[in-house]
Formats: sequence, C-alpha cells, structure tokens
Amino acid sequence: MLAGLAGEAGPYRRLLDELSGLLRAYYARRAPSGIDAEDLVQETLIAVHTRRATYDAGQPFTAWAYAIARYKLIDALRRSRLHLRAPAEEADALFVRPAAEAAMAARDLEQVMSKLTPRTQALIRDVKITGLSTREAAEKHGMSESAVKVAVHRGLKALGQEYAPQDGKEGVDED
Amino acid sequence: MKTDDLIQSLAAEAAPVKPGAVGRRIAAGLGMGVVVSVAVMLAWLGPRGDISTALMTPMFWMKFGYAAATGLIAAVLLSRLSRPGVRVGALAALVAAPFALVALMAAIRMANAPPESQHALLMGSSYTHCPWRILLIGLPILAGAVWAVRGLAPTQLLPAGLAAGACSGGIGAAVYSIACGETAAPFLAIWYTLGMMLLAALGALIGPRLLRWR
Repeated sequence: MLAGLAGEAGPYRRLLDELSGLLRAYYARRAPSGIDAEDLVQETLIAVHTRRATYDAGQPFTAWAYAIARYKLIDALRRSRLHLRAPAEEADALFVRPAAEAAMAARDLEQVMSKLTPRTQALIRDVKITGLSTREAAEKHGMSESAVKVAVHRGLKALGQEYAPQDGKEGVDED
Repeated sequence: MKTDDLIQSLAAEAAPVKPGAVGRRIAAGLGMGVVVSVAVMLAWLGPRGDISTALMTPMFWMKFGYAAATGLIAAVLLSRLSRPGVRVGALAALVAAPFALVALMAAIRMANAPPESQHALLMGSSYTHCPWRILLIGLPILAGAVWAVRGLAPTQLLPAGLAAGACSGGIGAAVYSIACGETAAPFLAIWYTLGMMLLAALGALIGPRLLRWR
C-alpha cells in the first residue's frame, strides 16, 4: 500500500489483486442473496483507491481495508432494504421483460442463422455462442483451424450483408 | 466490467498521495468555518465592550480555553473517525476532561459563595441567549467539518457526526466567548456546556445522512 501511495503502479496492482481475493472471500460469506458479491468487491476496490489518502502508514492495512468493506456491506444492505419496499407488481415487471426479450432474441437468431449452410451454422454456434476455441471446433468438425476461421468469418460476413441496413431501413426488423 | 480490468485501470491511475491529507482537509474545513463564524459573531454581537481589559483576566482565558480545548480534542477524535479501521479508544473520554475541570472549579466557587449570590453565579445575565448564540455561531464550523469529513472515509457515521458537532460546539463557543461578558465558572459549566451539547446533538442527528459517501 505504501508503494501505491507513492504512485508505483506495479506493487499497487499486486496489492489490489490480493485484496480482491480477500474481499471475494469476505463477501461470499456475508452478502445476502439478492446482492451481487462481485459488485461489492468492485465497489470496495474503487473506494480503497479513491480514499487511499485516509490510510495511515502506522496502521494495519487489512484493518483499514476491512473497515471499508464492512461499510460498503452495510451501505448495500441499507439500499437493498429500500428497494424491497417497492410494490410487488413493479418487481414483476422488472423481471419479466428481460426474459421475454431474451426469448425474442433467441428466436430471431434461429431465423437469421437458417440462411446459412448447416455446417457454417454449426461452426458459428460452436465458436461464437457456445464459446469453443477455434482449435476445439476444428477438432470437432474434422477441419483445419484456419478453415474454421475462414468459414466463421465468411458466414458472419454473409449475414452482415444479408441484414445490413438498406436505404436507411433496418433490414433485420423488416420481416 | 470485469474485476481484473477494474484493477488494471485503478493501478494505472496510481498517483503519489501526500501524507497528512486527513489532517489537512479537516483543518481546512474547520478553518473556513471559523472565518465565517468569527464574521457572524463580529457582525451580530461584536466583541464585548471591555475586551482589551478582559484579555488580561484569567476568567476570559478560562472560558476561551475550556471551549477551545473541548473543540480541539473533538477535532482529533473527528480525524480518527474519518479513517477506516482506526480505534477511538480512551480519546472519547478525554473530550469530557475540560468539562470535568470546569465543573470542579464551579463546585468550589459555589461552595465558597454566600447563598444569596449563588443564583447569580449560575444564571449570570445572559443564560437565555448563551446556548442559542453558541449554536448559531457554531453552525458554519459544523458545515465546514461536514464538508471535510464527507471527502474522507468515515465508517461509523453517527459517532463521526457527534464528534463533528462537539468540535464545532467547542470552537464555536470559543468564538462566542469573545463577545460574552459572563465571568463565573458555574455559568460556564452549565450554559456553555449546554450550547456545545446542542451542536453535538445536531451533529449526531445529521451525521448518518450527511456524512454518507460512495
């Protein structure tokens, strides 16, 4: 931390890295359901950074950092209590919309993909949606890595041309 | 944003921080408050008429010293409460030490006074104004303290508000003592203390709301 206060980026980065691990463990046990522990980790890291002038060299660093972590936890609990008072109907609306949108997006994706050859479809699905590496996809389909790359690239390019906005209208929304 | 990316960008912003930032900021906040407070006192009440002779009397300095010492101890307390993870400990009790001294002097004065003058020693001639004037004169200092602490990192907001209030009460009462013509320790022990406590209570009330930071 002292190096961080002196403006040395390298040691400061290592400190924040280690601290994020400690904070993750701290919040994993304490953050109640409904509060994202990783959000709290990030908020605390930002607070540690912006308020670092309040750290005193004669003080244990962990005592300082954990006091901030605890403050952030209490602050989050207080805010979540305020949110819980919102009427239940509003909460419904909040949760239903994204689900419906996700379903629509999935249906649109099926429609769009159907314009491609089955093999290109499978490749794009594996590489861009399932998240396989090019190499894993290449092994799965018995192709070379560069062939996979080219096929995926051409497939995406074809889709781009098919659905590119024409004359200012948005192609995807037309049908 | 992923936490790793966040750390990367925070580390890239690492700039040297001068030590002693907490003390400087609190001193700046209180200093600005005192300037406004003295201006209010001078414009509203003016210094007591006999200020030049009063400066030679121990009673003036006892009043001023009692209030200022309470305010400064509370200021040290406030600077500790503005840092996360610092224990306040025995220092909290020390805020009451000047009061204990003044209360003892008041008790001795009362015990030695003839019964017919005791009422005057307690009530003076301005007890209806004194606590309220201290409250008003201390308000700018409280505002300065709140500004300073909000920019630091208090994690216990009610104690921090209480300390900010006690600090502005003490310093505000010291500013008021320049305008106040009372001369008895019993008056000081009751009415000055009440004025400081009004500000301390106000600080405790607003602390949890106004000192919150994100």
